[in-house]
Amino acid sequence: MEAKKTKAGDWRSYQRVLLPPVKDLHKLDVYEKHDGYKALREVVTTDKWDPTSVTNEVKKSGLKGRGGAGFPTGLKWSFMPPVNPEIPRFLCCNGDESEPGTFKDRQLMEYNPHLVLEGMLIASYAMSIKTAFLYIRGEFADWITLMEEELEKAYAKGYVGKNIMGSDFSCDIVIHKGAGAYICGEESSLMNSLEGKRAYPRVKPPFPAQKGVWGYPTTINNVETLACAPLIINRGGEWFSKIGAPSHPGPVLYGISGHVNRPGVYEYPTGMLITDLIDEVAGGMRGGKKMKALIPGGSSTPILRADMIDGVTMDADSLREAGSMMGTSGMLIMDEDVDIISWLRRITHFYHHESCGQCTPCREGTGWLENIVTRIDEGKGNVRDLDLLLDLCTQMEGRTVCALADAAAWPVRYTITRFREEFETRCLKEMAPSGGVLETA
Amino acid sequence: MPKITLDNDTFEFEGRPKLLQFCLESGVDLPHFCYHPSMSAPANCRQCLVEVGMPQINRETGQPNLDESGQPIIQYMPKLQTSCSMDVADGMVVKSHRSSELVKRAQKDNLEFLLINHPLDCPICDQAGHCPLQNQTYKHGPEGSRFEFRKVGKPKHIDLGPNVVLDGERCINCTRCIRFTREISKSNQLTIIERGVKNYPMTPPGVEFDEPYSMNVIDICPVGALTSKDARFRARIWEMSKTASISTVNAKGSNCYYWVKDNKIVQITPRTNMDVNEYWLADEDRLDYHKFNDNRPTGPSISGAQVSWEAAYKAASDCLSGVDGSRILFLGSATATVEDNYLLTKLAAKVGASTPMYLAHRKEGHGDNWLRTDDRTPNAQGCERLGMKVADVAALKARISNGEVDVLHVLEDDVVASGVCTAAELAGVKVVLHYYNTTNETLSAADVAIPAAMAVETVGTVVNEQGHAQRLRPAKAIADVNRTLSMEIGKCRADRHGTPFDKWYEEANLINCQPGWVSLPGIASGLGLELNYKGPRQIIEELSSSNDAFAGLSYEGMGELGVRLSEQGVTA
Repeated sequence: MEAKKTKAGDWRSYQRVLLPPVKDLHKLDVYEKHDGYKALREVVTTDKWDPTSVTNEVKKSGLKGRGGAGFPTGLKWSFMPPVNPEIPRFLCCNGDESEPGTFKDRQLMEYNPHLVLEGMLIASYAMSIKTAFLYIRGEFADWITLMEEELEKAYAKGYVGKNIMGSDFSCDIVIHKGAGAYICGEESSLMNSLEGKRAYPRVKPPFPAQKGVWGYPTTINNVETLACAPLIINRGGEWFSKIGAPSHPGPVLYGISGHVNRPGVYEYPTGMLITDLIDEVAGGMRGGKKMKALIPGGSSTPILRADMIDGVTMDADSLREAGSMMGTSGMLIMDEDVDIISWLRRITHFYHHESCGQCTPCREGTGWLENIVTRIDEGKGNVRDLDLLLDLCTQMEGRTVCALADAAAWPVRYTITRFREEFETRCLKEMAPSGGVLETA
Repeated sequence: MPKITLDNDTFEFEGRPKLLQFCLESGVDLPHFCYHPSMSAPANCRQCLVEVGMPQINRETGQPNLDESGQPIIQYMPKLQTSCSMDVADGMVVKSHRSSELVKRAQKDNLEFLLINHPLDCPICDQAGHCPLQNQTYKHGPEGSRFEFRKVGKPKHIDLGPNVVLDGERCINCTRCIRFTREISKSNQLTIIERGVKNYPMTPPGVEFDEPYSMNVIDICPVGALTSKDARFRARIWEMSKTASISTVNAKGSNCYYWVKDNKIVQITPRTNMDVNEYWLADEDRLDYHKFNDNRPTGPSISGAQVSWEAAYKAASDCLSGVDGSRILFLGSATATVEDNYLLTKLAAKVGASTPMYLAHRKEGHGDNWLRTDDRTPNAQGCERLGMKVADVAALKARISNGEVDVLHVLEDDVVASGVCTAAELAGVKVVLHYYNTTNETLSAADVAIPAAMAVETVGTVVNEQGHAQRLRPAKAIADVNRTLSMEIGKCRADRHGTPFDKWYEEANLINCQPGWVSLPGIASGLGLELNYKGPRQIIEELSSSNDAFAGLSYEGMGELGVRLSEQGVTA
């Protein structure tokens, strides 16, 4: 077995940059004192930067999207077609954070809102965009108010709007409230929702860079992804690329929840050992219990058994090897007392409730999954139900317009394959009244 | 020419057709629900999944990599692709259910999903028998269900509007109806409400689905979720015969099918003709069929007394003979066929009367530049091309009240209802009337009343507002016609597959009437004019050689879709 080795280097002395320990950083004057809008000023007012060089710097940084898919951000920006003054282009900042177990963007918007706004403006500059939307999920009512207030202040100071800081770059930011649907976090349904349409995901291709909001070129990035942009401009892409795991670099917000002593959002480099995050960062398991399972990046990433996380670091490569994904790095930690079937029941209920209903396999499959898992949880299941569940997962995966069907099927597939005994015991208990042991003749 | 391989068969193609459309046109019967050729493809039913591969291209040479046998190496996409949303590309290799187990399985899986919450009420569903979901389940679906839970309940029998009823549970959320109101009729009167498995189409609050084209959603609905308030529960699909013909409600000449059960028109549905009505039919074309069934005559009559056909013809020719031609007024009809109007002009010429005129039936402002027109008749163009002119109602009125008319011969129209004169004013005039319905207000003044076959009972040609000449076919039999011998009348399944012992067909409701091309020669022969045509086909043959406006027209040329006439006959 490979040695336990973190890719985060000397993470214990890591200096936070996304959420630095500064009091009242959400206030504009405090933010300004701490190099706030410095990167934007440099980008829009000096000759050092033009749109291409900003994009190239982001490419150099190796920044990968923090919204779940981990797509290289600089590459995404370069997909935008050449500027045509007749055709508007848009940026969407995806703040529709609704994946169970994920709560990092909310933290950014609360404690460092201007970093998000500055990141949006830099991205807009890099892609010559004049209108940027910040789509925030409706349940974040308080954070929407906060962002709106801070945006107003930024407008008053001339950081947003016409001729930003006296330059010839103008960009408006529009905050849009979601109305409470998980599916709106999917980029193409976010665009439909933004347009005032029903949030059905769109068929791709065409991709947003060709045909996005209202049919115009659009780029969609996660809140945390865009918040990295000012840091990359200030300190250079090279600095960024040296933080954490080389293939998946940068600071990342780990949202740790579940049965640990200190749950919360922690900023550390990528490539942290999962064991370090649990034992040291989050203060170890609550009540000294043993860990049973872990979900590394939001509820749809495949679940890992406690015995599978040894030496696994939080970056795309290592997690893929371990049989899971980085996702949103919203880690859900469950101790030995957790009834995994009951947990799965709750998760299947979530996806059943949130399926938009556009595609057949997801619309019908999510409900069926919940029905069966509920039956098993209630002790009325049958062992053959497990194979039926796996069969249904196969029937759903990769057969829909967006990835929600996969997101709904994976928790079921991996929970069953990785905790099959537990499911079988529950089913057999019902089938064999002798108490879980099948009597042999 | 670019090539594509479908299940080992190579096809050439032009342009960039969608893969599903191309497959359907190439004889690969890919199952699908949400795709409709006239609308955008949301790819939401996921039924048309196929394996798609492209040749692996060598990055250095730009040429395809070849395998040992010199064939290009095909790289398949990791996931199955929806063929409805995919453009055909050169070199593409596609595996459908005919050659891929994976695709076969995917289609079966998807049908299983579609059926778990679909009520199995086929025995009482109007769509049964022509239901894409039913058909495709038989062809590609699973044999049983593994679903052991209660199906999702949704609202049922909701009146979306005056003509359309929704059963939410049957809906499979293909969104064809939504896209129809959004992209085709542009009324935006339907949308999907609720979320996930509870989804169903609905009107926005306070809105009624009352657009003039609402019933098209019934035809495009791939299940029985949207049904016609008028036609539902009236007849099963296999009990009806359908005949491809033309709607005669307006001057658009929309192509349609007349559905007949027991010699009664039960339903009218659209028939695709990309030159005229595309896939659609206005509600007015569908609902105005009761005139074909109700208030029909029982045979010819003289002054209200029933007589034989021979006696009626004799009486009519007696009316016309020995009168100065200038005192006989012939009125043709924009509702009658080109053939019948042509015979009337010959009759008028024989007795020395001036060319027949016809009455306009217009509703100004009714037309919408689509399938509805101001003109409420199907054949005004055909009349014009025969040299007939629209009658000036005021001038006619004056002629009749001044006593300038001794004989009035009306072909399939109603002068009283049209306001030309009152029945009392016709007291001194001999009236020969060809009529459809006993509600004809001129009937009481008619000396000789001759029941005429309607558009659904005759053979003939009508020319629409754009000059498109199309054929009417008999959809139902009249007293004189044996429907099993008439080759043109549509057949129902029992016609084709029933045994002689099946008592499936009602010989009732046969109307005792005659088409104009039978009755007008009958009258003409009494005047010494022999109009010996074998049928309307021969009349058109004569007309196409004698009248430039119909040059080149023939029944074969018109076929099922008609031909466009220019000023000088058939366009190239």
